[in-house]
Amino acid sequence: MADLAEADEADLQRLVAAEQQKAQFTAQVHHFMELCWDKCVEKPGNRLDSRTENCLSSCVDRFIDTTFAITSRFAQIVQKGGQ
Amino acid sequence: MDSSSLSSAAGLGTVDPQLHFMEVETQKQRFQQLVHQMTELCWEKCMDKPEPKLDSQAEACFVNCVERFIDTSQFILNRLEQTQKSKPVFSESLSD
Repeated sequence: MADLAEADEADLQRLVAAEQQKAQFTAQVHHFMELCWDKCVEKPGNRLDSRTENCLSSCVDRFIDTTFAITSRFAQIVQKGGQ
Repeated sequence: MDSSSLSSAAGLGTVDPQLHFMEVETQKQRFQQLVHQMTELCWEKCMDKPEPKLDSQAEACFVNCVERFIDTSQFILNRLEQTQKSKPVFSESLSD
């Protein structure tokens, strides 16, 4: 009975971790939507034209670049401050 | 939107009624949240100066708005999936 409980608990942990990952990913998508909808969609048309799609791709990529740049800069500052 | 139509749409057979109730209510809440969010977004994009009647142009714009919103969400989802596959380190720094 103890082995069964352990296996169940491992399964449950895996399930919870998977659901957490899904929730995190969904939250990310929402976040990007808020940022990029305003910047890239002016007046909604019949379909997503290539200009809008390019803008959305750029929006996602540039935001990631920006996050990375700011994170690195902060790391630098913290390092220098520590010396 | 009654719970019996929702449950038959979801293909549920015999489920714990309390759990079922929770799921249905959560679904309703999520739907309403989405409606509110979309109304706000599309109002800004499609409504210039409020007229005495909702004209056909504004209506068409609202239809497009909802559809483009869904397209855009899907597009961003795909884009993020691509990015995560090629640069896994970024997904960690973003998920704080």
